[in-house]
Amino acid sequence: MASCWCRWRRGCSWRPAARSPGPGSLGRAGLSGLRAAAAAAARAQMSYFSLVKSLTSAFPNMCSISRFHHVTPAVCCCSKTRSGEKYTDPFNLGWRDLKGLYEDIRKELFISTTELKEMCEYYFDGKGKAFRPIIVVLMARACNIHHNNSRNVQASQRAIALIAEMIHTASLVHDDVIDDASSRRGKHTVNKIWGEKKAVLAGDLILSAASIALARIGNTTVVSILTQVIEDLVRGEFLQLGSKENENERFAHYLEKTFKKTASLIANSCKAVSVLGCPDPVVHEIAYQYGKNVGLAFQLIDDVLDFTSCSDRMGKPTSADLKLGLATGPVLFACQQFPEMNAMIMRRFSSPGDVDRARQYVLQSDGVQQTTYLAQRYCREAVREISKLRPSPERDALIQLSGIVLTRDK
Amino acid sequence: MSLRQLLLRLPCYLGASGPRRGPLDTISSVVSWRGQSSRSPAHWNQVVSEAEKIVGYPTSFMSLRCLLSDELSNIAMQVRKLVGTQHPLLTTARGLVHDSQNNLQLRGLVVLLISKAAGPSSVNASCQSYDMVSGIYSCQRSLAEITELIHTALLVHRGIVNLDELQSSDGPLKDMQFGNKIAILSGDFLLANACNGLALLQNTKVVELLASALMDLVQGVYHENSTSAKENHITDDIGILTWKKQTFLSHGALLAKSCQAAMELAKHDAEVQDMAFQYGKHMAMSHKINSDLQPFIKEKTSDSLTFNLNSAPVVLHQEFLGRDLWIKQIREAQRKGRLDYAKLRETISAGKGVTSAIDLCRYHGNKALEALESFPPSEARTALENIVFAVTRFS
Repeated sequence: MASCWCRWRRGCSWRPAARSPGPGSLGRAGLSGLRAAAAAAARAQMSYFSLVKSLTSAFPNMCSISRFHHVTPAVCCCSKTRSGEKYTDPFNLGWRDLKGLYEDIRKELFISTTELKEMCEYYFDGKGKAFRPIIVVLMARACNIHHNNSRNVQASQRAIALIAEMIHTASLVHDDVIDDASSRRGKHTVNKIWGEKKAVLAGDLILSAASIALARIGNTTVVSILTQVIEDLVRGEFLQLGSKENENERFAHYLEKTFKKTASLIANSCKAVSVLGCPDPVVHEIAYQYGKNVGLAFQLIDDVLDFTSCSDRMGKPTSADLKLGLATGPVLFACQQFPEMNAMIMRRFSSPGDVDRARQYVLQSDGVQQTTYLAQRYCREAVREISKLRPSPERDALIQLSGIVLTRDK
Repeated sequence: MSLRQLLLRLPCYLGASGPRRGPLDTISSVVSWRGQSSRSPAHWNQVVSEAEKIVGYPTSFMSLRCLLSDELSNIAMQVRKLVGTQHPLLTTARGLVHDSQNNLQLRGLVVLLISKAAGPSSVNASCQSYDMVSGIYSCQRSLAEITELIHTALLVHRGIVNLDELQSSDGPLKDMQFGNKIAILSGDFLLANACNGLALLQNTKVVELLASALMDLVQGVYHENSTSAKENHITDDIGILTWKKQTFLSHGALLAKSCQAAMELAKHDAEVQDMAFQYGKHMAMSHKINSDLQPFIKEKTSDSLTFNLNSAPVVLHQEFLGRDLWIKQIREAQRKGRLDYAKLRETISAGKGVTSAIDLCRYHGNKALEALESFPPSEARTALENIVFAVTRFS
């Protein structure tokens, strides 16, 4: 580890850990904490990346990361099942409540026109993994049990699972038009089959159906929580349009975008079900923090997989993000070691050969490792938070899920 | 540069030259208001500006929070990049900027007027603590803005272009892709602001009403796209009943449900809410029919003026004639694959389509006035009546 420090150009006056924000700040204070950390780092004349490195290295029981791109589950899942109940697959556990999820979503899309209905139902075909609804219902049960040992899921909580999936899908439909994507989940995108005009309308329609379902729950707090998600999704896309010059700003910008585009939905859906299930604001915050940290980790691993998922799947890595001009975690970390990447980042990899060169730099650097470290940090934080709830199979499933987020390989 | 200044300068950036003759502008040129013959925009504008005085201040284009956002200046900068391209977003943006300068946000204005006309609920006193300016609760003002946001968002989303239908005259693919991207993001941004505004109203019935209005509007826009004329200028065979249903979705639903929501915010009972709904619906329908009639009523029409083959007079004309004869007339008006609109217009004007469209417009106008009768007499109610008179008079 120590040898890595030599490579930092700006890390020479690194102050000891006492001056830097504590370990919990990454999760607890969230993004404002990260920005404060960046500001603190700047004041301490320490690069943002060395701050992250110092945080990750300050914990001796940190899972040791080998040079492999995939991380084995046994190392990372530090969960203790105090409940003593049998360890089931979280997806199976969650699906018990989600039977009929897609049929119910389709019922919300009460559209008379055949083609429009077909377009809106296109992604609700039951083939998705329904990752978000699973988290939502597991969180609902975990909160209900914590509150009063209730083993029921309220109808309104289940509705949140539907709404979360609908909002997510609506944003995917629009994102595919924006990115001019041709395939998703193994089939053609809505915009490629029916054209861009109708695809945009389909996205709007799914969003309006989700809003109607949300209003019908009849809880104004929950409405406020989930409309925040809609705003965050749009702001996240806007963040992606712009780019930052300063390297420190870039990373904070990347994490903010990641929060808004991915983590906000999960965090706020978890918070919404906890509000419906339990009056204690401490529980709401736990749910939110779990969702946020798992969401951030999920996206970071997604960004890693864009570089590493390869031979056995597609024959070559996809580099979809690079092709869209996006500089994600691995790239930003790699840029620390290879400053020549700066120019490529600024021009969004638009020159011929940029995408391949950038990929090479990333694979030569420890960018993937660093991003994975960070994802692990978030997962640990998620586990720490959710462990504060009363033991239950669902709580343990959520703990297990955070590990699965790290180890999936698409 | 402040955001306000940026917005005011937008027309120059967008290459706009002079006021755009949009559908709302052209109404005024033929409307005769209260017996005065008019060929100028003055009377429609007069109706509107008097109405604005009644509601306290001109309806703003977007809430202040929205205006101060980074995203809006980002959008403005991106739209500037589209100058010189053929993307429809540019036209939409120009129109919006002009409309905001003329303060012609009709939906918002109507919502404010009907809020004032209804006044506070005589039955339910729970709104007594809300603050009220010029007889309108601040939540109702907020609702008016939200209505305009939703309308504008879909206006922007209507301008998306199908990439595989592009022709060389449309310019580079890259420009269209970029235009689409900005259009989607801008529309989504407006919708997100609308959703936030709705959440702040803390009333889930109102959220449900406006969300369902959005759903209706999207379906209405979808129908507009689907039934528009194909290559051979022949539209789908829709009768007047289907036309009414589709026009309700694309034009009536938002205003109707918004008016109803305004009543709900003031805790009026179901009857009052229904009357407001009916006013909104019928007023919007007559407004649309009036707009459809413009190409057939203007005294001096340029030969190149095209019209929508799915507009009310044309649909009615086809209804009278029967499908086959109508198709024959279209073919006769075609020369080398291009449609001679002037000739087709003559053919239609010679039939019963135009007069029955005028009748339909007046029918809806009367229904709107009927709905108003249940509101107590007031300045606001008179202004709403004047709006109906303005859209239903044809000299």
